Amino acid sequence: MIIVRFLAMLILALTLIACSPVLPRQRGNLALPQMALTTDALEFGLRQHTAFSKEAASGGYGGGGGGCGCN
Amino acid sequence: MTEHKNYARSTPVNCLTFAALSLLGLTSTALAGRVEETFNTDFQYGHYSESSERMAVDIFDLATSAPLGKAMTGSVSLVRDTISGASPVYNVRAKGDVTQVLSGASRNASRSDCGKSICDQRDALSGGLSYFFESSSLSMGGGFSQERDYTSRFINSTFSIDSAKKLTTLNIGASLAFDEIAPTEQFGGYIRNRDCGELCSKTAQQYLVGVVQVIDKNSLLQNNLTFSYNTGYLSDPYKKVAVFDGDIFTNLINDNRPREKFQWAWLSQYVRHFGDLNHAALHVDYRFSTDDWGINSHTTELSWHQPIAAGWLLTPRVRYYSQDQADFYRAVASSNSTATVVSSDYRLAGFGAVSGGLKLSKTLNTLKHLREAKFQVGAEFYEHSASYQLGGNRLSDFADFSYYLFTASVNVKF
Repeated sequence: MIIVRFLAMLILALTLIACSPVLPRQRGNLALPQMALTTDALEFGLRQHTAFSKEAASGGYGGGGGGCGCN
Repeated sequence: MTEHKNYARSTPVNCLTFAALSLLGLTSTALAGRVEETFNTDFQYGHYSESSERMAVDIFDLATSAPLGKAMTGSVSLVRDTISGASPVYNVRAKGDVTQVLSGASRNASRSDCGKSICDQRDALSGGLSYFFESSSLSMGGGFSQERDYTSRFINSTFSIDSAKKLTTLNIGASLAFDEIAPTEQFGGYIRNRDCGELCSKTAQQYLVGVVQVIDKNSLLQNNLTFSYNTGYLSDPYKKVAVFDGDIFTNLINDNRPREKFQWAWLSQYVRHFGDLNHAALHVDYRFSTDDWGINSHTTELSWHQPIAAGWLLTPRVRYYSQDQADFYRAVASSNSTATVVSSDYRLAGFGAVSGGLKLSKTLNTLKHLREAKFQVGAEFYEHSASYQLGGNRLSDFADFSYYLFTASVNVKF
């Protein structure tokens, strides 16, 4: 039981590092276009496709947009 | 009780996020929990070019999205890739040195219609719908892509849910692709592998679970875990493996990979705003992936988004990638070996890659009938080298190459 509580808090801690309250009026910076997780969807898609064609790794970002016979 | 109080002080329900996630093939830039209110159309041109005149690709990409009613966004995307060039088929060894043999290297090689040993065109069409509820959203999409010898049909879905005060977003996604390969008889002077027959198929599934967490008013962190499972014909019908008895070439056999692949990946993405530096943003990504073919990889990327005066944004970027070799990878096979599963594909070897890029964009908000127009140009240079692998190696340096990628795009909102 103690181990379960410890693991749960460890997992939460990893994703909540020093999280501080952010009120709705303070969210302006987070909404800036350069703060988006993907700032340019088409360029991101092209770079992911290129990496997937030349490297063995895939995933992490998502991107299940179909396969190709890429050589 | 004290432990409970300490935990409550930094509870996630105080945090809020509207982080955009365009996952799983969707090109919509809709924010989780809010319907996109504008019509968006994006057009991108890309040019990819490898060293030693290997592969060159021109990419044309058109995407559009629009609000459909009060709670839905629809999007459609079209892509055309025009591919030409040469690609490594197998490797040979002479006096201890290994070299690649490219398609079209043989004197008997026929040139395809574009004048190179490989000519192909890939067209892809995909669409998606996103429905927004009070504090969650559901996206569904699908599409297909077609090449001369390869067809892929895919569907995907993502569900996002925000916590009570919207500082945490949980994302759950799944995607499925059904691919069919009908290899062309000849390619660059070689006869293709027969193990595929007239038509062979491959199924790819990927599942994602991720959390986006607002840390404070200037930063957020995304952590994703993905699992993929591929099954079917996973080999390359146009690649072969040379078999050597010492320095004597004895046979050329098919590229033959396992019929299953399991892969896990973990991604952490950190984004930070710097108000004092004209609202610059730093993006730091790290991804680890591992699969049951024996390949572990590390990817790390840093980009700095720097607004300069009046609507201009400059973004330099660096990326480092390193992977191990697959268990069944052999530069050349030995005639002593009885292994039936073997591949010489340079993409399954151990190597590292370093790339750097720069992008410039200009946003205009004062146009008459448009809400916003954005113009972007970017260039990236990528270098693949065995010696860049973590720990370094010289084993596969015969496969070293580089490429540059140039992109230009126009984005319009109205």
